[in-house]
Amino acid sequence: MGTILIVAELKDGSVREASYELAAFANKIGGDVKSLVIGSGVAGEAESFAKKGGGTVYVADDASLANYNVDGYSAAIRAAIDASGADTVLISNTPTGWDVAPRIAAALDAAFVSDVFNFEDGAYIRRVFNGKLDARVKVAGDKAVVTVQPGALPAFEGSTDGSTETLAVDTSGARAKFVETKVAEAKGVDLTKADVIISGGRGVGDPEKFTEVIQPLAEALGGAMGASRPVVDAGWLPHEYQVGSSGQVVTPKLYVACGISGAIQHLVGMKGSNFIIAINKDPDAPIFEVAQLGVVADLFEVVPALTAALAEAKG
Amino acid sequence: MKILVCMKQVPHQDARLDIDGDGTWIKEDGIKFEINSYDTFALEEALRIKDAGEAEVVVVSIGPDRVTQALRTALGMGADRAVHVNDDAVAGSDALAIAKLLAAVAKEESPDLVLMGLMSDDGNATAVAPMVAELMGIPSATGVMKAEAEGDGYRCERELEGGALEVVDLPTPCLIAVQSGLNQVRYASLKGIMAAKKKPIDTKGAGDLGLADQVGTAAAKAQIEKIYQPAKGEGAEIIEGSTDEVVSQLVGKIKELGLL
Ligand SMILES: Cc1cc2nc3c(=O)[nH]c(=O)nc-3n(C[C@H](O)[C@H](O)[C@H](O)COP(=O)(O)OP(=O)(O)OC[C@H]3O[C@@H](n4cnc5c(N)ncnc54)[C@H](O)[C@@H]3O)c2cc1C
Ligand SMILES: Nc1ncnc2c1ncn2[C@@H]1O[C@H](COP(=O)(O)O)[C@@H](O)[C@H]1O
Repeated sequence: MGTILIVAELKDGSVREASYELAAFANKIGGDVKSLVIGSGVAGEAESFAKKGGGTVYVADDASLANYNVDGYSAAIRAAIDASGADTVLISNTPTGWDVAPRIAAALDAAFVSDVFNFEDGAYIRRVFNGKLDARVKVAGDKAVVTVQPGALPAFEGSTDGSTETLAVDTSGARAKFVETKVAEAKGVDLTKADVIISGGRGVGDPEKFTEVIQPLAEALGGAMGASRPVVDAGWLPHEYQVGSSGQVVTPKLYVACGISGAIQHLVGMKGSNFIIAINKDPDAPIFEVAQLGVVADLFEVVPALTAALAEAKG
Repeated sequence: MKILVCMKQVPHQDARLDIDGDGTWIKEDGIKFEINSYDTFALEEALRIKDAGEAEVVVVSIGPDRVTQALRTALGMGADRAVHVNDDAVAGSDALAIAKLLAAVAKEESPDLVLMGLMSDDGNATAVAPMVAELMGIPSATGVMKAEAEGDGYRCERELEGGALEVVDLPTPCLIAVQSGLNQVRYASLKGIMAAKKKPIDTKGAGDLGLADQVGTAAAKAQIEKIYQPAKGEGAEIIEGSTDEVVSQLVGKIKELGLL
């Protein structure tokens, strides 16, 4: 069995949940588990991660690593790979992970598998085609860099008797320079407070259809409108309507997804809703996997009819 | 100033996805293809830089004959020239091999800026862009929602979770992988399409780039063994029937939830 290096990620000063999920993933693969914690003033967090799944934790602690920087992080990860002798490197598929992980694979001429959600019979399992199909991926060669989908596995909860080791990292060659983090602007529309959300996706087709078809149903139920990312990208609705990993995370009593396929980045924003109805003309759309009720039909037939029936039912 | 835009041609987002005979990819015959959505935003960004000043925009795509159509579209939108890596031996390559080919093209072109997409809509790898940057030895940023020339490089805003942004400065030459929605993508004009017919497409093979032994299934370090329909879980209860029947069940459910 080989050595697995977990690259932990800090959020607001603490090791984030996704890193504990990597610990669980490492156990699933099987091997000697070691970890890396990167940052400035992070010795305490590294100590505690060593006891909670991290194993031997290398600590790259330097003022220049206080904020994410692709070059600095890359140097730290490569130093930890050398120090640990790891053959498998696990990184969470977060904005940090997808920025730095492929660089490590290219630098090492290693296999790279991204956004996996499982490991089964020696292969990594991941989604392709925006959630419509799954793929089993095998790695060849002696090194692999793997990014893991946050939330795919329950986090590691046991204890380990790990310890920490200081890792010297030379960040002087960094070319990318961190400037600042801008927090998300306050939203004009706060979808997190809505009891009912009627969301439309690319299947709605154009902005007028939002006004003619989606909005009336939202009004009939005293709810709010929501949208998937392509709708916002195309400028049909402002960003504050976007539901998903890069929009809002909502948990209404009722979420109705109209013409939304159900890509993972959308699902993470709405799967916690109390009740989900999906209307989609594709019976294989992944949205039906998280919905409680599904209608396989043209939304332009079902949604206006539903709006009319609700008006009638209210009398 | 020279900008290299890497574009992938992918199955159309509404194409039927049937699995091919050996179970490792989808059947490509008979379906429509389009430029990867993220790459249309990358190309638009390059064309805006060109519109605002002076720049040569070179597009590169790796793929079979059908890719010519994607390159023609890009030339019609305003790109100046195209490089098409068209080689049967490339089929079955992993992301790293694709990145090696693109980095080799980039080496020949020596651009000031490389623009790419964050992700491909078919493989969803989010792999190739940072790999190309690493192989070229230049800095990179992914998931970029805004890029502006600043000092001797670009100030980029990377999208983080929940709508937060990370601002990072990259000195040129650098590589920027864009997130969808950073601009509104133009259409090719009729005039543009006519002009594109005279623009050159340079075709190359892996051997021309010195990479004949590093591409294809045999060289791939990450290999798809099988693709398949995801296992269905509990799933939704599907309501069948006429629109009236469906609607009356939905109304019943909404009443039951106490929302009426
Ligand atoms: C880093 C990152 C962050 C992202 N963040 C988000 C996010 O926050 N939110 C988000 O939503 N996405 C996000 N995405 C994008 C995501 O990957 C998908 O591309 C997106 O969710 C797809 O939106 P969609 O379902 O509307 O479109 P599609 O996937 O194109 O689906 C359209 C659906 O409409 C159906 N349809 C078409 N016409 C009809 C009709 N007449 N009647 C019924 N059904 C019809 C089709 O069958 C299809 O299933 C992100 C991606 C990345 C890489
Ligand atoms: N075959 C290809 N030809 C040209 N560019 C590609 C190719 N494959 C991937 N890319 C580029 O790499 C980006 C990320 O793709 P991926 O890593 O496959 O998700 C795409 O948005 C393109 O810019």
